[in-house]
Amino acid sequence: MDSLGFVRLTRALGAATLLGGLAGCGSLQKDIDVPLPAYANELVVECYLENGRVPRLTVTESVPYLDNSQAAAAGSYLLKLSNGQSVQLPADVAVKLVLPSGRTMNMAFKPGMDETTGKYYTHIGTAPITARAGQQFALDAQDQRGRHVTGTAVVPTFIPIDSVKYKFNAESDTSRRAYFMTKWTDPAATTDYYRLMLHKGRPSNNSETDNDIRDRLFNGQPYAQVTRYRFRPNDTVTATLYHVDSLYFDFRQSVRNARNANGNPFSQPSGIHSTVQGGVGVFTVLVKDQKRLILR
Amino acid sequence: MSRIALRNSVLISLLVVLLPGLSLGQVRYLLSGIVRAADGTALPGATVAVPAIGLGTATEADGTYQLNLPAGPQQVVVSFVGYTSQTADVKLTHNQRYNFTLAASQSELGEVMVRGQQSLKEKLTTTQMGVEHLSIREAKLLPALFGEVDILKTLQLKPGVQSGGEGSSGLFVRGGSSDQNLVALDNVLVYNPNHLFGLFSVFNSDAVQSVDLYKAGFPAQFGGRLSSVVDVKLREGDRQKFTTSGGIGLISSRLSFEGPINKGKGSFLVSGRRTYFDIFTRALNRANAGKEDYSPIPDYYFYDFNAKANYTLGEKDQLFFTGYLGRDIFGFTSPNGFKSNFTWGNTLGVLRWQHVFSPKLTLNTSAAVTTYKYDLNNSIDQFSFNLGSTILDFTQRADLDYVPNERHTIKVGAMLTEHQFGVGRLQRSSQDNSVNFGADVNYVGQEAGLYASDNFKASEKLQLEGGLRLSGFRSGSDAYGGIEPRASARYSLSDKVALKGSYALMYQYVHLVSNSGASLPTDIWYPSRLSVRPERSQQVSTGVSYLLGDGKYLLTNEVYYKWARNVIDFKDGAQIFANNDLDSQFLFGRGWAYGNELYLEKKTGKTTGWVGYTLAWTKRNFPPQLGTTGINNGKDFYPNYDRRHNLNVVVLHQLNTRIDLTASFVYTSGAPTTLPLGRFALQDIYQGGIQAVPIYPDRNTYRLIPYHRLDLGMVYKLRPSRMGGNRDLTFSIYNAYNRRNAYFIYFDQTRDKATDKVTGYAARQVSLFPLIPSLTYNFRF
Repeated sequence: MDSLGFVRLTRALGAATLLGGLAGCGSLQKDIDVPLPAYANELVVECYLENGRVPRLTVTESVPYLDNSQAAAAGSYLLKLSNGQSVQLPADVAVKLVLPSGRTMNMAFKPGMDETTGKYYTHIGTAPITARAGQQFALDAQDQRGRHVTGTAVVPTFIPIDSVKYKFNAESDTSRRAYFMTKWTDPAATTDYYRLMLHKGRPSNNSETDNDIRDRLFNGQPYAQVTRYRFRPNDTVTATLYHVDSLYFDFRQSVRNARNANGNPFSQPSGIHSTVQGGVGVFTVLVKDQKRLILR
Repeated sequence: MSRIALRNSVLISLLVVLLPGLSLGQVRYLLSGIVRAADGTALPGATVAVPAIGLGTATEADGTYQLNLPAGPQQVVVSFVGYTSQTADVKLTHNQRYNFTLAASQSELGEVMVRGQQSLKEKLTTTQMGVEHLSIREAKLLPALFGEVDILKTLQLKPGVQSGGEGSSGLFVRGGSSDQNLVALDNVLVYNPNHLFGLFSVFNSDAVQSVDLYKAGFPAQFGGRLSSVVDVKLREGDRQKFTTSGGIGLISSRLSFEGPINKGKGSFLVSGRRTYFDIFTRALNRANAGKEDYSPIPDYYFYDFNAKANYTLGEKDQLFFTGYLGRDIFGFTSPNGFKSNFTWGNTLGVLRWQHVFSPKLTLNTSAAVTTYKYDLNNSIDQFSFNLGSTILDFTQRADLDYVPNERHTIKVGAMLTEHQFGVGRLQRSSQDNSVNFGADVNYVGQEAGLYASDNFKASEKLQLEGGLRLSGFRSGSDAYGGIEPRASARYSLSDKVALKGSYALMYQYVHLVSNSGASLPTDIWYPSRLSVRPERSQQVSTGVSYLLGDGKYLLTNEVYYKWARNVIDFKDGAQIFANNDLDSQFLFGRGWAYGNELYLEKKTGKTTGWVGYTLAWTKRNFPPQLGTTGINNGKDFYPNYDRRHNLNVVVLHQLNTRIDLTASFVYTSGAPTTLPLGRFALQDIYQGGIQAVPIYPDRNTYRLIPYHRLDLGMVYKLRPSRMGGNRDLTFSIYNAYNRRNAYFIYFDQTRDKATDKVTGYAARQVSLFPLIPSLTYNFRF
């Protein structure tokens, strides 16, 4: 049971004891003033390279948590998103990508949106890249305020999905649902890390499930990831299996732990394990296999 | 072990060996026996005294006592809280046994009135310091959350003891973490003494007799944990008649049955309890069924059973049995076929044989088994996922009590435990075998302890207790051992003022794997191994006790300093579930705790109670290690149970023979917590909405607001029913002035209600319990 479940349960106990009409004691949650110490903004880099694609990169700035985005730091500006969120974009960051050949590709500051992924980016390369397993890329991002982020990423090997399948439950009405299984074979010689995402419809939409998996318990064996009964008849489900490196896996875990700790009194907060140095963020190469099924 | 510690150990060993050589030349005989209530139950903590010569003692946990008295006629007075005192004229011509049976006083709840002043006097004159004795009767009078009497939560009202958080029964004693408490039920370890994430303890108030909490100066017979000993004793059944008792509360009900065995040669007690808030949650789920944003609350309940039996085999031999079985059960079945079952709990049993060789020499031998386990089973269609952990102990021990003369009380003993650790058991499988893998990490360890101690009355003013414990642990080819000296002393400046001091060194060979800071059912116990060395602590404490107001009040001030090494924590983001390489997740560091505890008690008169104030500091340090930066880059930090100030005020007032009023007030400084300083936006691989990811600074750099709460209670004794027996109604109001104490704080987006657009960020404080009234009906017939 997670912390919210725990809080819900204990409140249910409280509610059960308060049937006599004492429930009007007011809310158990309230907004408070928290005087946080000063926080120095850091450069945040997010870059996922893929073979055959023009590299794109997002450079933003971290901000004090309770900052309400009224003003941007000098050299940066605020990007207002459609949902009201704002992101602080530094406009003075020069980014270089060092290819496996040793050649440097300068990435221009041209904020835009990637039509394929639906993602925003701030910097874009000049040509598609070639990424083969074992090759190393390097990143260098530097602004005019002395902040300097560097990182390297090695191309993982390709791990194919062996099979995908689904099965509906016995219901015949609107509660008819299917589980979905994705199966692949883990190589025995290496310690491997995976990210498996299932999407309904276009992969650019929110994923239905998103799991980070390491092979500690099934090294060298076939492995199957099974969902709950959650998909409806005629759903199109796309399974995307990424074979990732340990740095990206750690980054993902630390992001998850950090997000879970905000609001979970039982969780120990975690620092962010960035794959880059000098700032916060991730620089990695994605290698994936995809399979799609229409559930009938 | 360092040279200095070794030297200290040797000195204390010599003290223990040499002190018994001193004795008196007067003709004296030993008077021994047992003090029981009229129903045959043994009464621990009763006072047995000979006022004419100023000698007295308190009965042991099993009601036995020993007094070394001059030959000739002696008038012996026995008194105990809630019972009418009894006087006996005994002519001592040889060592002899004399048993006492005390009748309950007129008002069953009048314990606070009749308790003799000698109990405070006893406390003044004992060498033992840092100990709190609590009878279940006191706990039953005090107000309780949901009306559930909880002896561990009552201990939290004593100085030097912190709770783990709102409503939690976890104990944090003098800067120790909750896994550093040796919680024992009739001398058998209870690994997880909590139900429902620590909201309730596993001890059923109907079955418990009393609890002793040792915070310092640990007697040598105790070992294996760093910070405290919580010694819970079950009561014995009625030896004279069959009795049924119980209670009906808002969330649980209790039922006990007890009676004689073989015409009073023995007695038994069985007691059970079950919650029924699964009925409430099911009703809530039914009421909200069909609502789109409503996620059902899982079924949850817990139950526990206690059993105790004793049988007198002969004048010199007695058998005792104690058993406990408790389970917490979560169950969830989704309408579309997903099932989840989560079960956890303790089971224990112990058989003890007591043989009295002579009034001077008593042997207790016992064999015990205790286990804690949890099992989580999820299944869907043909696929299943099982996760679990177990610890199983088999323990044998022998304890010899020897009283050679009135100046010495010698205790010698040995114990051996076989631990079986099922650290991680994970299985993922399918019926068609398309998925089948798992892990099963098991260890075995042997833990041994050998101890000797002597309580030596050097003079009327000076009393010393020296002890030595040799402990060892082996797991596979890894073996550890240590010498644990224990010492305490009392010097009486007058018959009203006593100075005390103590020292104790403790080793802990079994460790709790938990990075939650709370007691969770998924906690795992782990042995000391090559890379996980035993934890070790040392504590010195000193204090002064002052009997005030003609002996009605006892004012005690104790100062302590505790330091520990090899204390355990976990790496940032440690993976402790389904990890067959847990060794790599530990961090090892040092700890310090120091403070001052001021304690004023009143135990006689219509109004009794206590006031305790603690000023304390607790610190930890985990330097960089194992490729990590440690915790907070190796800087000292305050763990989340550090509290600078802690004030407890407890008042019990007997309004008349039928009504008792009680109140307790708690104030503590805010708990250290970790709040994010910054955030950054993460898009991830696909655009699925930008996530705000918190950036946390060093651990525990922020403090929650101070915690304070007033609880009120009333016990109303009803007139006997037609069937006879006693009945009462117990009213409790938890958090009487409805204080919004902070359970935790989180940061969240604020949104415009009309457009649902993000407008900013806010800090939100969550409280767990508002004012909660409760009513419990108790009966006994």
